[in-house]
Amino acid sequence: MAQAPKEFSIVGKRIPRIDAYERVTGQAHYTGDIQLPGMLYARVLRSNVPHAKIVSIDTSKAEKLPGVKAVINHENAKVPWSSGGHTHQRFIFNNPVRFVGDAVAAVAATDRHIAEDALKLIEIKYEKIPHVLDPNEALKPDAPKISTSGNLSVGKGAFSAPIEESWGDLEKGFKEADQTFEDTYITKHTNNAQLERRVSIAKWDAGKLTVYASTQGVSNARTDIAKDFGLPLSRVRVVSKYMGGGFGNKNQAQDYDYMAAVLAKVTNQPVKLEFTREDDYIGMHGRWPSEQHYKIGVKKDGTITAVQLDAVTNMGAYRKQSGNLSGTDFYNIPNFKKVIKPVHTNTVVSANYRAPAYPQSVFGFASFLDHIAYELGINPVDMFMKNRIQKYKSKLPFTSNYLEQCIIEGSKRIGWSEKWHKPGAAPGVKKHGIGMALGGYPFRPGLGAATIRINPDGSAHLLVGVTDIGTGAKSTMAIIAAEALGIPLNQIQVTNGDTDVTPYSVGESGSRTTSFTGPAVIAAAEDVRKQIFALAAPELKAKAEELDLRDGQVFVKSDPSQKIPLERAVARAGELIGRATTNPEFKDVEGKSFSAHFAEVEVDTLTGHVKITRYVAAHDSGMILNRMPAESQIMGGVVQGIGMAFSEELIIDKLTATPINPNYRDAKVPTHLEAPNVEVIFIEHHDPYGPFGGKVVGEPPITAAVATVANAIFNATGKRIKELPITPDKILQARQV
Amino acid sequence: MEEKKKGTKLSRRSFLKGIGGGAIGTAVISTGLIQSDPAAAYSPETVGARGNRAAITLKVNGKAYRVEVEHRSTLAEVLRDELGLTGTKIGCDRGECGACTVIINGRNMYSCSQLAVWMDGKDILTIEGLAKGDKLDPLQEAFIEHDGPQCGFCTSGQIMSGKALLMKNSKPNEAQARRGLSGNLCRCGNYNREVAAVLAVAAKAR
Repeated sequence: MAQAPKEFSIVGKRIPRIDAYERVTGQAHYTGDIQLPGMLYARVLRSNVPHAKIVSIDTSKAEKLPGVKAVINHENAKVPWSSGGHTHQRFIFNNPVRFVGDAVAAVAATDRHIAEDALKLIEIKYEKIPHVLDPNEALKPDAPKISTSGNLSVGKGAFSAPIEESWGDLEKGFKEADQTFEDTYITKHTNNAQLERRVSIAKWDAGKLTVYASTQGVSNARTDIAKDFGLPLSRVRVVSKYMGGGFGNKNQAQDYDYMAAVLAKVTNQPVKLEFTREDDYIGMHGRWPSEQHYKIGVKKDGTITAVQLDAVTNMGAYRKQSGNLSGTDFYNIPNFKKVIKPVHTNTVVSANYRAPAYPQSVFGFASFLDHIAYELGINPVDMFMKNRIQKYKSKLPFTSNYLEQCIIEGSKRIGWSEKWHKPGAAPGVKKHGIGMALGGYPFRPGLGAATIRINPDGSAHLLVGVTDIGTGAKSTMAIIAAEALGIPLNQIQVTNGDTDVTPYSVGESGSRTTSFTGPAVIAAAEDVRKQIFALAAPELKAKAEELDLRDGQVFVKSDPSQKIPLERAVARAGELIGRATTNPEFKDVEGKSFSAHFAEVEVDTLTGHVKITRYVAAHDSGMILNRMPAESQIMGGVVQGIGMAFSEELIIDKLTATPINPNYRDAKVPTHLEAPNVEVIFIEHHDPYGPFGGKVVGEPPITAAVATVANAIFNATGKRIKELPITPDKILQARQV
Repeated sequence: MEEKKKGTKLSRRSFLKGIGGGAIGTAVISTGLIQSDPAAAYSPETVGARGNRAAITLKVNGKAYRVEVEHRSTLAEVLRDELGLTGTKIGCDRGECGACTVIINGRNMYSCSQLAVWMDGKDILTIEGLAKGDKLDPLQEAFIEHDGPQCGFCTSGQIMSGKALLMKNSKPNEAQARRGLSGNLCRCGNYNREVAAVLAVAAKAR
């Protein structure tokens, strides 16, 4: 499937998003903006104990409250939530409850205030079960068991445990080393904290369920709902038109979609279930925290000979996703072994958050590598350059790899060679520091589908299942269609995110939208172009295969003056429909987008406060198809990484097992004041396997950001902080040691 | 379709069992429904009419609305639910994120943290009121040109804070722009873009 580069007419240009107008005028209707006649409002009650059997749940007082229409709980709504847990079975309401925040009941009422009042009237008797919060404690034989199979989270297939991977000969690798280093790095649970709170609107019509969801994947959401409710796919419709962010915690369908569906069914009215911000912080999931123990063997010149990683990741009470750590991905490691233990504890669930397995382990590994460079007296840029990955697992070539150029161009832009100094050597109270790290994210092909309808006037409809979670996916798909069709962008209307109308989409997670659905859009365009050329051929007195279409004109390739407007070619066709389902594969190659990030900081050694004075992000994402949103995503990923590095942490009180800061202010999400100006560099080369030469953009930028600023702080202070977040108190403490 | 034939009590009990065909592992719902006279469900006592209510006049985007609101309803709720002005978003409902920012008597404020009853007679400007007919406000245009929205959920609030700043100071510098917008979170992290949009409008005023 390798393709040669081509000249583009609109791909890669700076074009505003096709739906920017709606978004800046308040006319973009998000799920929560939808009002249906007779709609009820629903709220969720959550457990305030970390581990307990529900002995009784008395909803009678709540039910008597005027306006309350239904109360559901584990007794009367035993609905499995298959994707909510892959070790022990999870339901939308569980008994026993397994963490503070586990849902215990939901109320539907005529008004959201009444629903909130009703929650307070539900009386629950709990019989407490011993609990465990710390993952290392949880692995001890006498620890309270959260899953019947134990606290090491052993599920099937992708959810097995421990997660093990190895290649080469570890023992030989360490023997070859001149020096061996060992250390431990720790990261914390941070919430995705997307601005749009979870909301779901469900309604039933003659046995068909419609869910207006805030989801990152309407097709997957439909599959989940159909499976767990025992419905055929044709009787479930999932719609998500505008979506207010998710960063991995709105994939598929979630329990609140199910609760809304059940409440709508039992009341026979549409139901809008809204989460509060606290619900969002404790009731869904954030990034899995980790304790990473590394043993790294290196030659005197810094060359890595072997890496061993033993880690524990805290998945909370349910295993929704892998719990893997992949920060070693960007380095050439000839001999490697990792053993990662995803563990259950009685805490808020951990699962996908933008580049799920990366920023925490890039922090660990790139910090440690930076430190080893210091110990060996090597400039970090040389250390990273020397050890950058060139072949996947030291074996397979990449579809394209310009990591070297990312390092060269990024370090040049920030002025590394002039600005780097020995760690802690900068003068003054406010100390300058500079740091870097490598990152990226896998680029994979996969199943995509698209339909293109050409109207008799030459305008087009593009139908794709994708939801636009903020990445500009809708615009990117339109740009790909316009380029592939040869029709101006403003002639293309995109319909997206509606399982009754739009074709299958894999789900807008894992940076897959462009690489999975993009090829399908191109193929659908090819399909409909053939039909157009067949219609135009007689008038142009040429064979169909001799024709081309550009700027809405069908013309003879060998003589472009021989042309007719598209609308003339298709005027009497009624409608042409092009369609494609594509599923390209890689053979003997591996795909990855790469990045090298660089930051300068100023550390106030009196207050421990860190200011990022400059940030350069150099990325190899292949060709950039939709330039402005691509740049924006790089900037935004860096800002999220900075939040994780400096301030964000969901803190669980040890005494009560209760999250004490489940909100923006106390969990410390970065604001305008903390965000640096991010200088974005794209190292653009055509990737032979990507649609129009593009690889992936969405997830790479967060991967290196945490380690980059952490390394800059080390360069400023000469003190290595090995536990996130790097708050001022930790910096001050480190300096006193 | 099964529902029509059966009695009211049975129909809701059996709906999912029927659909599920008894498949193991799928939903089993007995009832969460409160058995009551269906007609009573829509009696005036129960349809959002609880609690103390007051009739107020809201002046929104130059238009006066006479609305009866519950004392505890926030301005954000009334704008969205009663007036259908859903461009104002609610991100946290606790005065932290700024998605609900509107301009009240010339100041940007969190509408989730203002009770609607306090707004009687005040001048309120929301995102829907910025454009003059088809002509967008220069700040809205700048947000389009500078890729201000990613997911777009915070965008209305960012624009309203930016607008309030520009109303007071038509030529803010970068630091002033950042401070002016600092009450508006953007989890997509699109801060550079939002500030750039405000500065672009300021540059035209210079």
